Amino acid sequence: MFRLSRLSLHQRLAGTALVLGSLAVVMPQPPAGRVTLDTAELARLVQTTEDHVRPRELADWILAGRSDYRLIDLRSQAEFAGYHIPGAENVPIAGLIDAGLPPNETLVLYSDGGIHAAQAWVLLRASGFRSVYSLLNGLDGWKEEVLFPVTPRSPTAEEARHFAAAVEVARHFGGAPRAADPTEGASTSTFTSVLAPPVASPGSSIAAPTLPSGAPRTSGSGAKPKKKEGC
Amino acid sequence: MHAPFFKFGAFGDEVGLIWAFVLGIGFGFFLERAGFGSAKKLVSQFYLDDLAVFKVMFTAIVTAMLGTFFLSRAGLLDLALVYRTPTFWVPQVVGGLLLGIGFVVGGYCPGTSVASLATGRLDAAAYVSGIVLGTAGFALAFPALRGLFHAGSLGARSLPEALHLPVGVVVFLVVLMAVGGFVGAQALERRFARIHPERS
Amino acid sequence: MSTTLRSVDQPERVAPSDASAEAHASTRVAQPYMDPYLAGIGLGLVLLAAFVIMGRGLGASGAFTAFIAWLAHLAAPAWAQQNEFLAGYLGDGSSHPLKAWLVFEVLGVAVGAFLSGMLAGRLRTTTERGPRASVRARLIAATLGGALMAWGAHLGRGCTSGQALTGGSLLNLGSWIFMMCVFGGAYAVARFLRWQWR
Repeated sequence: MFRLSRLSLHQRLAGTALVLGSLAVVMPQPPAGRVTLDTAELARLVQTTEDHVRPRELADWILAGRSDYRLIDLRSQAEFAGYHIPGAENVPIAGLIDAGLPPNETLVLYSDGGIHAAQAWVLLRASGFRSVYSLLNGLDGWKEEVLFPVTPRSPTAEEARHFAAAVEVARHFGGAPRAADPTEGASTSTFTSVLAPPVASPGSSIAAPTLPSGAPRTSGSGAKPKKKEGC
Repeated sequence: MHAPFFKFGAFGDEVGLIWAFVLGIGFGFFLERAGFGSAKKLVSQFYLDDLAVFKVMFTAIVTAMLGTFFLSRAGLLDLALVYRTPTFWVPQVVGGLLLGIGFVVGGYCPGTSVASLATGRLDAAAYVSGIVLGTAGFALAFPALRGLFHAGSLGARSLPEALHLPVGVVVFLVVLMAVGGFVGAQALERRFARIHPERS
Repeated sequence: MSTTLRSVDQPERVAPSDASAEAHASTRVAQPYMDPYLAGIGLGLVLLAAFVIMGRGLGASGAFTAFIAWLAHLAAPAWAQQNEFLAGYLGDGSSHPLKAWLVFEVLGVAVGAFLSGMLAGRLRTTTERGPRASVRARLIAATLGGALMAWGAHLGRGCTSGQALTGGSLLNLGSWIFMMCVFGGAYAVARFLRWQWR
């Protein structure tokens, strides 16, 4: 009698699992067009700067060999062939929505400046992508912050240490430190690069290095990865 | 209400640690309830006379899988924000084999060894010291293991993506496989429980 | 061949006639284990709660890495920061290595298991082994098994909890590959280790 009732419990459980499993097959995927765009939520993300990744942060991800995100270059094929951040894949912005990017993966977007990536960010968020980030100031920011870090003029010990790490990262990506321009401060130099025309990379004063875009090499030093989330 | 609560900023890191402790208590409680505080019970899985490991593990997988699937379809849980361990298939094949061998040699896996130690098993204490020594050795040997560790990277890929099947279909197949496995497990147990006493 | 006959239906009873002579046999009879399917549902709901509350699953082996990372950081800070494997557990140095999610979770596992064991009368100081294995051999094998497991878990980026259970329910490709290999590895060597358990 006890045994019978026990068996029937197992059968009930198995039945429940099978019913729920069958339901999963016919459960409709929420249609892409029907995603409600939570504008307040998006505005909050922008406000709290949770929508972007800093260039140095991305450099550290690449150095640490992280593979839990995809780096998307939004520029044209020709520009991509000219230079791209190691590990990036080329998806020109016009074909972004039809490129079949997986909505459940973390995407980091970049273009020359910050504008195209920010616009693409909104496009993807509106299409139901949840884990999208843009690279702050795009390739301009990448050059300023990662490839060609400015030598601090009278650094404190703390600043000198940060700079030494930055130089190592720059060297890894084929860049080099540059001296601070005596006529203008570091903040204005960032400013001019933001003001540079969108297709600035070939004509800009800072030339991008040509790099083979092989698998990212890891050199523990310099990179300060975040704590692991996995087991 | 947006889940995962932590990822939506409902609370900070420190409160997250309290949740870690609370969820850990639940985890340990059910591990011990299931009998996983005993090495003999655990390794019986590999001598086919008590398949509790398979039953508990796959029931837990099916429960959590159905829960996450329906919560995410209902728009309550954002699965894109749930951490996914990236796939590196080469070290995962090697690591899986080593872990399986270590399971039969040692009698536990890391989680169950903690549960066993807490209920007084001395072999679990030896096992835990083995994990500590092994981890230290792994860290020391890591420069030589780097190539293997990063081989076969496929990113945070899911089974539905790899099989080119809709998520719902894979969920159904896993449920089907689990229920079929449970029926088979009961049959195996009956068979081996009968033969076992004469053979050992 | 040992001829000790033991009932397989009552694995919960650590009988004094069993090889574990050093067992502090409790006067209280241990309760039988929970139905495996109900325990599995309980475990699954805890895992689901972790996904909903934290956005991550359960784990165990990572706590040991955090512990080693902390020790290494005490002994040789520069070396530990340089070590790619440990650096991931040290973070940027802004918080203590042991102030990690998995460390607190594993402490909870110990407390939860102790509570369950206490309530069911299953707390026993004993060495689990079959009738043919000596305590010494069993302890050596357990240590070796722990070390093997550590290498497996670190190569596989997770153990039975972090990969098989968590990744399995998230339908993670690597986790299912890993899980199949765990069962494969274990069944392949089980017959050679029969002396330890049967």
